Amino acid sequence: MSQTPAALARAERGLGVIAGLLAAAGGLALFVLAIVTVVSVFWRYVLRDPIFGIEDVSTMAMTVLVAGAVAYGATQGSHVSVNVIKMFAGRPTTRLTDVLARILGIGICAFATYGLFTKGSCGLPCGAITSNLGISHVPFYYVLGTAMGFYTALLFVHLLIGLAHWAGEDPNEAID
Amino acid sequence: MDGTTIAILGFAALFVLLFIRMPVGTSMLLVGAVGIYMIRPQASLPVVAGEIFGEASNYPLTILPLFILMGNLAGVSGMSRDLYDAAHSWIGHLRGGLASATIVGCAGFSALSGSSLAAALTMGRVSLPEMQRFKYDNGLSTGAIAAGGTLGILIPPSAGFVVYAILTEESIGRLFMAGVLPGLMLTGLFILTIWLLVLRDPSKAPSSVDAEPLGDRLAKLGRASWIVGIIVLTIGGIYTGVFSAVEAAGIGAALAFVVTVIRGKASWANLKEVTLSTLKSTGTVFLILFGAFVFKTFVGFTGVTVSLTNWVDAQGFTAMQVVIAILVAFIVLGTFLEGFAILVLTIPLVQPILMALGVDLIWFGVLMVIVLEMALISPPVGINVFVVKGIAPNVPLNTIFRGIWPFWFAMLAAVILVLTFPNIALLLPNTMFG
Repeated sequence: MSQTPAALARAERGLGVIAGLLAAAGGLALFVLAIVTVVSVFWRYVLRDPIFGIEDVSTMAMTVLVAGAVAYGATQGSHVSVNVIKMFAGRPTTRLTDVLARILGIGICAFATYGLFTKGSCGLPCGAITSNLGISHVPFYYVLGTAMGFYTALLFVHLLIGLAHWAGEDPNEAID
Repeated sequence: MDGTTIAILGFAALFVLLFIRMPVGTSMLLVGAVGIYMIRPQASLPVVAGEIFGEASNYPLTILPLFILMGNLAGVSGMSRDLYDAAHSWIGHLRGGLASATIVGCAGFSALSGSSLAAALTMGRVSLPEMQRFKYDNGLSTGAIAAGGTLGILIPPSAGFVVYAILTEESIGRLFMAGVLPGLMLTGLFILTIWLLVLRDPSKAPSSVDAEPLGDRLAKLGRASWIVGIIVLTIGGIYTGVFSAVEAAGIGAALAFVVTVIRGKASWANLKEVTLSTLKSTGTVFLILFGAFVFKTFVGFTGVTVSLTNWVDAQGFTAMQVVIAILVAFIVLGTFLEGFAILVLTIPLVQPILMALGVDLIWFGVLMVIVLEMALISPPVGINVFVVKGIAPNVPLNTIFRGIWPFWFAMLAAVILVLTFPNIALLLPNTMFG
């Protein structure tokens, strides 16, 4: 079996570290979300004093959670694809279609990254704040943009690794 | 090019992209973005960015990570094992009882986790060794696990219902309540299927465990009371209107965490595993949602739904005929598309038609989710089957698929029953919400 070139292996490991950081942020946001929800219920039903704007905190925590989840999920191959082609075609065909799928994936993820940073940078003039507490959306757009940018970079590295393994098995081949 | 042509090209492109194994989420994102660009070039970028941010910060969707977290905590705390043990002690001694206990365990676990895969994986790991020890037929045992796991997206909390609710703008609470009776009915149908299979061919479940003394059974039931308590509190809280679905998810996750701590299972390794697993599942769903909403906007821009609705109206089809035709199409799609993909791909197209015909979208949601369950076990891409294959690597895939067919027909029977008697789905939500 062919070896992944050292530079690409290093790049993949580096992305793994970034994914770990994004996952840590996402994990923290998950527990913030759970705690905020419980505190909100306690204040609302036990103390009969709903906390104003707590939904804003939940939703912004969720953007960080989702960003971490999408980025980490990408490194774990958890973004669902349909593996029907394997019934019709072997590796000589799928290595071509995988290249195409990855190039298209890079294109749309880069577009989404650009969109998130562009739209996000508009900030207050575009009314991009939460409805109750007025929390600016800007950093959260950027967090999501970073996650999509990360996915773009990961697809790019996987594309190169796939090309390096052209004659053999692709270690990042899509599965169901 | 007119909108309808662009829509047709969009759907064709989407199927090509899915065929070449591009992830469902990015495929829909790409087709949606390009399609919108073709119709209104200046709208493409803002729609893509806006929909991604909009879904990531959509408050009702906080329910998804919280319920996924609750299910994962139930797994590491041993609560899911308790559930199987209790079912095992009460019905395991009956003929085919271990397979039936698996179904009951899956149904119970489904009430804590919205994921079919989690239900099949968690219960499969516990129940398969037991069924193999008692020489159960491989087809029956793996079929029961794969089918039982599908209850995860029907019995609330259900990720399928949450996504359907967000796409159709229906109430998550109503849909959750609508899934309760069909979920219990399908559990019963699965058990009936096992009973009939074993009655017809006793060699499928040749031996059984001895009946346990009543004291032991009650003790196991008592140990399972943690999980039962959480289920009653969360689902009961939604039903009685004490909690919203999001609040129930938060309370359920917190209680599951408390039980994990009490049982001494809140180790760093376990919490890390739970968190990463929750992130993985959440990431899977949200990337699909990003794509789904951009694609939905594209479909809306094309105006194809108006043309389709007018065409259906001109043909004079009845609502029931259209619903049946759509469900048949879903069953066919389920043989080669993943369930979530079918949901997000088709809802933007069929929802306007159904609304124009006055179809109750809660009732249709239940029917759709049952059909999606069928997709989860339909050859050749039934994802639950591959989960079971992962647990039972020594069982050939053909054997698993052969074992699944009786359960697939049980699901078909459930679809027919809910079609014929809509109140199976609508009784609880109508009682609760009026």
